[in-house]
Amino acid sequence: MSVILSIPVLSIITILQSAVISRLPLVSGTADLMLVLLVAITLQKSVNTAWQWSIVGGLLTDFFSGLPFGLFTVSYLITTGIAHVLRERIWRFSFLMHLLVVLSGIIITHTFSYLVLFLQGNSLQFTSVLQAVTMPSIILSFMLSLPVYIIVQDVVEQLKPTE
Amino acid sequence: MNIRFPKSLRILAISLAAIGILALALSGVFTSISRLVVSPLTSIQTWVSQQYQGVENFISASQDIREIRQHNTELEAENARMQAQIVELQQQLIEYEILSALLEFARANPEHKYIGASVIGRDPSPFLNYIIINRGSDDGLKRGMPVVTQNGLAGRIVQVTASGARVSLITDPVIRINVRIEPSRSTAVLSGSITGDITLEQIPQQAEVNPGNLILTSGLGGNYPQNIIVGQITSVRYLENALFQSASVQPVTDFDDLAIVLVITNFDPVDIAPLLPNADTP
Repeated sequence: MSVILSIPVLSIITILQSAVISRLPLVSGTADLMLVLLVAITLQKSVNTAWQWSIVGGLLTDFFSGLPFGLFTVSYLITTGIAHVLRERIWRFSFLMHLLVVLSGIIITHTFSYLVLFLQGNSLQFTSVLQAVTMPSIILSFMLSLPVYIIVQDVVEQLKPTE
Repeated sequence: MNIRFPKSLRILAISLAAIGILALALSGVFTSISRLVVSPLTSIQTWVSQQYQGVENFISASQDIREIRQHNTELEAENARMQAQIVELQQQLIEYEILSALLEFARANPEHKYIGASVIGRDPSPFLNYIIINRGSDDGLKRGMPVVTQNGLAGRIVQVTASGARVSLITDPVIRINVRIEPSRSTAVLSGSITGDITLEQIPQQAEVNPGNLILTSGLGGNYPQNIIVGQITSVRYLENALFQSASVQPVTDFDDLAIVLVITNFDPVDIAPLLPNADTP
């Protein structure tokens, strides 16, 4: 999929994340639509621009977030790396693989966020973060995973002949 | 043998015959004959007329059905338009109520100048309780300006762009606000948390603090103006041998349903960082 296409698509996803998804929390956690989408794109065999999509998605999220700039870019790139490794090593993918990578991505993003806030002098209780933020975020992201995975699969199938 | 009568005689004969027939008809002689002739014709005419009426009704009925369907479609479209209008008006009513409440708040606190702003988003990270508003430096907003709702304090601006600003809510785990407890007038520090709950810390042990007491900004630290309502104490934790008391606070602002906020534009936060004791200074 074209990198140029990533800018409008991921801009819309960022706006959706900020204006809609972030307003629908479960306890204090929210789904990470950008991460779910980037993982779904990376796991498609025919897509060879996943790294570029991850950089664009990470930068856009960083622009919208109050966390230190680059946190989401780095987190999404590491997640994309995990997805790439799994894609190359395992010849057949299932939806469970997608969920596993999304889980890894959320843990990475939240670990970085926790560490950054901790280093800034904010004493966040680890158990509170896990119970109120991370676990609900995982559940909400899993709920988004299936529709996003199917849509991405269909779109990539449609675009494949033109590539 | 062919006898030829003069023309005038023929006309006379035909006229007499016609008068005779008319006379007979008027006298009723032809009635029975005409019944015999007209009766079947009437029946045929009735049948033809009925068929014609049937066809006409069918054609006009299908025309009516078309018209009714068209009318129905128009009414459905009108209904949908009205429904959309109702939703829009309900939305406007909610906005009007919020704006009305905000105006009341602004009138009740005339010492400040305000700019209204709509909440257009939240921070993508669940670790930060930030909102994004649709006013920025082009509208005169600056970093550090306090943000309120019709109920009380909401937060303060932490980042400004030309057309938008990021507001850190008082529930954010990073935030610390110096507050005053009424009626005891004791000071304390309000802090947010990752779960969105806010607590009061560093309440002096001797202070008389009870559930239901009001929390207002104290103005200490120079980050917020004085006397803006923050919330109400719900429970107090007092330990005999602790240095301070602590308390849970119910904020007056509903942070899940923030739509419009007011930014206080005539308040300049004071940067007291240079006055704080520094480890490097002797």
